[in-house]
Amino acid sequence: MIGQFIAAFIGTVAFGYLFGIPATYYAYCGLCGSIAWGVYTFPFWNSDVVASFFATLVAAFLARLFAVWKRCPVTIFLISGLIPLVPGVGLYWTFYYLVTNQLEQMSSTGLVAVKSACTIVVGIVFVFEIPQKFFRFLAAGFHKGETCKKEKDNSGKGKNQ
Amino acid sequence: MERNGEQEEYEREVMETAMRAGRLLLGHGAEIFRVEETIYRICRHYGVHSCSAFVLSNGIFLTAGSREEPGYSAVRHLPSWETRLDKVAAVNQLSREIEEKDYTLEEVNRRLDQIQAMPGRSGISQILAAGIACACFGFLFGGDWGVVLSDFLTGAILYIFVLTAGPSLSKITNNILSGALITICCIAFYRIGLAGELRPLLMGAILPMVPGIPFTNGIRDLADGDYISGSVRMLDAILVFMSLGAGGGVAFLLYHYVLGGVML
Repeated sequence: MIGQFIAAFIGTVAFGYLFGIPATYYAYCGLCGSIAWGVYTFPFWNSDVVASFFATLVAAFLARLFAVWKRCPVTIFLISGLIPLVPGVGLYWTFYYLVTNQLEQMSSTGLVAVKSACTIVVGIVFVFEIPQKFFRFLAAGFHKGETCKKEKDNSGKGKNQ
Repeated sequence: MERNGEQEEYEREVMETAMRAGRLLLGHGAEIFRVEETIYRICRHYGVHSCSAFVLSNGIFLTAGSREEPGYSAVRHLPSWETRLDKVAAVNQLSREIEEKDYTLEEVNRRLDQIQAMPGRSGISQILAAGIACACFGFLFGGDWGVVLSDFLTGAILYIFVLTAGPSLSKITNNILSGALITICCIAFYRIGLAGELRPLLMGAILPMVPGIPFTNGIRDLADGDYISGSVRMLDAILVFMSLGAGGGVAFLLYHYVLGGVML
């Protein structure tokens, strides 16, 4: 389990490096990726699709929280969290089965892949409906503990509100 | 008349700056919503209130003009994009700073120049990173140490191909060839006995080619109501998946008929 966590962390950071994510965000990207993977591999989801849905919810939630906290585009964290979940592998198999004429396998693999893709869409859409204020409120809690010069005026603003 | 000309010149500069920021964002993997918001932010902050922007996944349309403000319009086409989230983050940071501090237009343009010139990752480090990413995901998909090692090598070989041959090929050809290359490498490592299982090996190796950014941004755009850009980006992602699978399938067919290997 710990091994899986570490591998997901390093793997996500390596992907982040390829996408040009700034080095200061690596730790958060890795966290996003490994937590999403952890949720995905929970033993009690009885199907791949349900697992993707909940993992997406967690990944998108974390991504928005980190984005508000670190004041940077949410894409940076969202992409890291979702990389292990995007059903790229499933779709690869689907087209592989199509080319090699194994149509029965193709339809079952393809259906699962498309369903996972749809649940990822729904998961992201749901989490992005949560108002930004909620995340600001959560992030303000984090900011209180920080004495970073840059954040000072912002946390001051937060207290006034 | 003189004043009018000056104001027109100023407004032009504001719009061009906004357009540059927008192009930087759109060309390096930002969502439509962020591009539009940044353009509006810059325009409003520098006093151009009549601007209106229409952003598609590969083009920006920007106009301004009202009874008080002179007219300006520009269309910029962005035929291709590369994923550089550091540039997106930097432009985003700049647009926040514009609101908080009082930058002059020259300062903003200088910052945009700096962002545009941000160095990319070196080739060697990208190749290593791709290898490490493949190796980690090979492990996650249940591979043993042999699979991890072969995934590392496959990822590195794949990225050498992507970095050397990729830029000169069209996207579809590039992806078909990449899919075939990954499959050939994996079969080779499987045949020489380095990797015990083929499935986790292939699953780990295919991941660096998975179009995560178009897929995620497509979803975000659809969720924001930008249906045209969202569906174009989704289509882009689907095409990549199709090409990869087709390349892999062809490589497997060759393996099956030429070397008599079993199909998965």
